[in-house]
Formats: sequence, structure tokens, C-alpha cells
Amino acid sequence: MEIFTLLGFGEKGWGVLILTGMALTLCVTLASLAIGAVIGAIIAAAKLSNRWWARALGTAYTTIFRGVPELLIIYLIYFGGSSAVTAIGQAMGIQGFLGMPSFLAGALAVGLISAAYQAEVYRGAYRAIPKGEIEAASSIGMPPMRCLRRIILPQILRFAIPGLNNVWQLSLKDSALISVTGLAELMRTTQVAAGSTRQYFMFYIVGGLLYLVLTSFSERVFNSAERRSNKSMPRGMGQV
Amino acid sequence: MSATPRLSVRNIRKSFGAHEVLRGISLDAHDGDVISVLGASGSGKSTFLRCINLLETADDGDIVVNGEEITMKTTSHGRSAASRKQLDRIRTNLGMVFQSFNLWSHMTILENIIEGPVHVQKRPRAECVAEAEALLEKVGIADRKDYYPAHLSGGQKQRAAIARSLAMKPKVILFDEPTSALDPELVGEVLRVMRDLAAEKMTMLVVTHEMGFARNVSNRVIFMREGQIDCDGTPQDMFGGKGSPYFQQFIRHMETENDAA
Amino acid sequence: MDFPFLLSTMKALLAATPTTLGLFSLSIFFGGLLALLIVTMRVSNNIVARNFAKGYIFVFRGSPLLIQMFLVFYGLGQFGVIRHSFVWPALREPFVCAVLSLALCTGGYSAEIFRSGLRAVPPGEVEAARAAGMSGFLLLRRIIAPIAFRHALPAYSTEIVLMVKSTALASLVTVWEITGVAQRLISQTYRTMEVFMCAAALYLILNFLILQVLALIEHRLNRHDRRPAERKPSVLSAFFGSRA
Repeated sequence: MEIFTLLGFGEKGWGVLILTGMALTLCVTLASLAIGAVIGAIIAAAKLSNRWWARALGTAYTTIFRGVPELLIIYLIYFGGSSAVTAIGQAMGIQGFLGMPSFLAGALAVGLISAAYQAEVYRGAYRAIPKGEIEAASSIGMPPMRCLRRIILPQILRFAIPGLNNVWQLSLKDSALISVTGLAELMRTTQVAAGSTRQYFMFYIVGGLLYLVLTSFSERVFNSAERRSNKSMPRGMGQV
Repeated sequence: MSATPRLSVRNIRKSFGAHEVLRGISLDAHDGDVISVLGASGSGKSTFLRCINLLETADDGDIVVNGEEITMKTTSHGRSAASRKQLDRIRTNLGMVFQSFNLWSHMTILENIIEGPVHVQKRPRAECVAEAEALLEKVGIADRKDYYPAHLSGGQKQRAAIARSLAMKPKVILFDEPTSALDPELVGEVLRVMRDLAAEKMTMLVVTHEMGFARNVSNRVIFMREGQIDCDGTPQDMFGGKGSPYFQQFIRHMETENDAA
Repeated sequence: MDFPFLLSTMKALLAATPTTLGLFSLSIFFGGLLALLIVTMRVSNNIVARNFAKGYIFVFRGSPLLIQMFLVFYGLGQFGVIRHSFVWPALREPFVCAVLSLALCTGGYSAEIFRSGLRAVPPGEVEAARAAGMSGFLLLRRIIAPIAFRHALPAYSTEIVLMVKSTALASLVTVWEITGVAQRLISQTYRTMEVFMCAAALYLILNFLILQVLALIEHRLNRHDRRPAERKPSVLSAFFGSRA
């Protein structure tokens, strides 16, 4: 059958390339999750801050990165980043256009979007921590940093797992848009395979199925993480 | 007493799984009857009431409202009303007042009351509004007609729910523990409305824990035990020592509970 | 700042705004209808319909919209049956393909939102309606749907804003809406930041206006949650007329 040749791992098959693309999709989404975690935590802290300008900055960030199309943000980072790289290159005496590495641009763009959603998740998780527990920590004389590390952060992580699952699913699907920068992740590879074999329907179906594998598999990982975190920290004696 | 009963229930049986909740119950309610149904919790009295207007479907038995029997059919999905149209029509003749009021939260009190008359009975809106306002006056919450249920007290909600069932001009009203969800100080205002209805010869079937209502307002008391009618009679007879030993024990228990409270 | 450039950019983007709005409103409309159909199947007693709806929701929520759009745009034309059928004149239009895939996608997301709205309808209120002789479509229209829609509206608002953003993908199947025009301007001028700012501002204004309308609808529908004294005449009553 022609289909098996095309999808296989032989000379004419796209199997290896597509699976490599799938791995790249996973890597770029993981990188964006990490970038988003750092920036998202900062934005969440800004939104929870007592200073009005910090709150305003935080709100502006989430409004922009949740309200503007993902594609536009990818263009901003990719083209804007490339101009910056070219300018730096010219300063160092390198002539001509320099492109920004597409993996970096993609991870950064999806990471910045993910940060806006993660900020909301962390903020909600912080709000879910019973105030009494923080008061109890300070009443026994626990220093603020220690309280943050021992009491607040572990609980934020636990409360944040379901929300992070949603953000991760969103980022996985957003990562398909990185294909416009030419990064050979799953979407781009599928597109190239479909275009060069003219088997559009079959390759897009296969690509879509592989995305479904990624989303449903990671959903399982998150669900088991959620179960485990609830087991290690029972909500009340009644549940033990 | 008129020849055809307003409501006639014959040999109702109902099981949930292996548990038989109703084991053959029959009852006639004639015009103007006020029947109190008493019994310990779990005796099946609420299920019995819900079987009458088919909110639960009895496994066996007949229900006749105003001389018309609800036709039933049995399919692979179980037993149900044979004609939805007939059931809907009969249900408009059977008012129902719930323990938890179940007013429609997205409608004002007035909208709650005219909903059935306008949309089920297809009566002219202006006429229904006028009637609804009179009913609200009667149950004492005319000033609350434009409020939403969320902003009323429990007693006011239950009075609104009674007005809602009256608006359909039912032949019989079924009350399912109408005061059980109320704070003690609000029980009186609902009982007062029910007493007025009884005085107007409305036919009522009341599942209740209010011994005062059973004794002083109803003309017949039924005591249910383990899914059957254990004994029944006039309040004078029942509370005068003619009920079964179980009933005697039940009222003694209820009285000590009231004393403790 | 180069204001003449910003102004000409804004003009070019504004010219593309009707296309964005067209994609948005058509896909919300058809996607909403589709979602009603799917949620009906999802909650029905028919096991085939229920599983079909489950599968539909899983597929369209679990895969990227871009791949769905390419499947519709490039994939369908591969089949002679479709190319020779009466739908082909419509399906060869990029705009139609974009609306079709946007609607198919939001249909899956909205169906789940509507279902959670249905699950929030208090069973007691449905029982009260049955006891008053309501059933079938009357029960759905007067009691179940209004309550479910009120519960679903906040989540549905979020979905609607996501749809505004999703219309940007249509540029990748050659529909010249705002993001597509912005991308063309960027690659012509290399003035990424300025073009981005204009386009971003436009999208934020669109979102703001749409959210404002949705908030007014929500305010109007949620009168039952507010104290009577708080109720004041809604701005929308000027548009929709107030109920006597």
C-alpha cells in the first residue's frame, strides 16, 4: 500500500521526520512552559502586590497577551527578534540579515502567552491558601522567606496543577503556530509532507491524530500528578 | 359527600432496587378533604406523594384524578405514562408544593405565578396577572411580586410557591413537607396560609411533621409505616387513643422531641 | 514616533477589520448552532449519538485549530467527489473554509460549556415545572434553557474572546484579515513593533467592545442575583426594549 510507504520509516517514508517533529513539538512546548512559569510567577506576584503600579503592569501584561492573537505575538518575537539580532550583528561587523533561531523565537512567544495564563493560575492558587496558615506561620516566628518556601509555594503548586494542565494543553496547540517560523515541529513537518506528496488529507489526519496523542497522554500525566499531590497532602483527617 | 373522589389512588407499589418503599397503598380524597400523612422518616410518605403526580413512577397501581385515570404503559425502559399530553393535563389539576420551594430562580415572584397559567394553560396574560396579584395579596406577599426568589425569606418563598400552585386552579394540592426546610419562627406564616385554604374547602394531601396541623386542621390522619398505611381515621379518634400502638409510640416520640426543642 | 506611518498602518488594518468581524460573527453563529446540536446528542439517551458527541468534542478540542483548518482547506479538495459536487464553489473559497473550520472547532468547545450550564440547572426547579404540567420543548424553552444559559455565559464569554483571536489563523489560508495584513506590512517594512502595536490595539479594542456587550447581557440576565434596590435601568434596554 502506498500509504504505508509514505508513513513508513523507509527511504520514501515520512515516519522518521514526523516523529522527530512530534518530539520537537514536545520540546518547544516544554521550553515555553518553563519560560512561562518564570515570567508567570513574576506577573502573578505583581498582580498580588500592594503597589498600584505593579498591579497595573501585571494587568496590562495579562490583558495584552491573552487578548492579542497568538500568531501576531509570534510575528512580533520572530521578526522583531530577527531585526534585533541583525542590528547586533551589524554592530559587530557582520553584514546582511540574521534570522533569530526559530526554536528560541517560538518557545519565547508561546512562553510569553503561557505566562499570562500561568499568572492567573498562580494568583488563583495563592488565593486558595487559607490565610490562617500564613498567619500561623508568622505567629510562631517563621521568617517571611521561609514561610514562602515551606508553606506557600508547596501549596500553590498543589492548587495550580489543574490550571497548569489547561495552560499546557493550550500551549501544545499554540505551538502548532510556530510552524510559520519554519521550525520543523509536528505541524510544519506535516505541512511539508502533505505539500510534497499531495496527500493533504491523509497527512493532516495523521498530524491531527498525533496531536491528540500528545494532548490525551499529557492529560493523563497531569491527572496522576493531581492524584498524587492530593494523596500526600490530604485535605482533612476525614479523607485519610 | 360527592360520588367521584377528587383523587383516588389504588394499590401503589414502588421499589428502589431490592428495597420495597411502597407496599400497596390505596387512598380516596373527596372534595374538601384535608388529609395529613404522618410517619417516621423512611416510611415512604414523600415517595407516595411523588408517585401521585408521577415525579416518581410507581411499579404498580392506578391513579385517578377527578374521575380520569392516568393511563400507563410498560416498555423496555420501564413503566411510564402512556400519553405525555394526558399526564401534563392531569398534572395541572394536581398542585404540588415542595419542601425546598423550587421557585424558578430566573423569574420574579409574579412571573413564577403566571408561568403555568400563561404558558401551560394558555390563558390571557392580563387575566393571569390580575389573578396572581390577588393570590399574592391572599398569601400576604403582594409587596414582593417584583422580587426574585433569592431575595425572599423561606416563609415568603413557600407562600409564593403555594400561590404558584393555586394559580393553576388545581383540584387537589399535594404538600411535601412544606414547613420542614423553614426556620421555626417562619413555620407559622405558612401554616396560616394552609389553614385558610382548608377553610375554603381546598382538597389537600399534606405530608408533614406538624402535629398541630394534623390534629387541628385536617379532617383525616393517615399513619404510614414501612411502606404501608398502618392506621387512619379522624384526628379526634387518632389522637384520642384509637390509633395503632405504633402510632401511639410515634406521637409520644414526636411530643418529647418538641419538648426538648 | 513616526505618526504618518502609524496612521497609514492603522488605515490598512482598519480596512481589514470587516473581514475579521465577518469571520468572527459567522463562526460564532454557526458554531453556536452546531454546539446546540452536539450538546443535545451529548446528553441524549441514545448511546450512538452520545458517543459521537464525545468523540467530536475530544477531536476538536484536542487538536490544533490550524491543522483542522488546513485539513478543510487543502484536504477536502483532494477528493473528486467533493470537487465535482455542488458545495465546491463555496468550499474553494478561503473565507468559507476559514468560517467552516472556526465553526467546527468552537462547536466542540461551546458544547462542553453548554453542557456544564445544563448540569447547573437545579433538578428541583425542573421538577416544579413538570409538576405544573410542562414537558418537552416548553420545559426546555421556558425553564431549562434560560437557567442553563445564565450559568454558561461567563465561560462562553471567554470562548467568544478566544474566537476573536482564532480568526487570525484565517490569514494562513490566504484570508486577508487584520493579522494577515499586519504580517504583510511587517515583511514589507520590517517595522515590527509599530505594526504590532497598531494591530494589538485594534484587537484589544474589539475584545473590549465585545466583552462590554456580553457584560451588559450578563448584567441584564442576572437581575435575580441582585437586591431589588440595585436594579437600575440597563443601557441595553435602549437597544432591546424593556419588558413591560
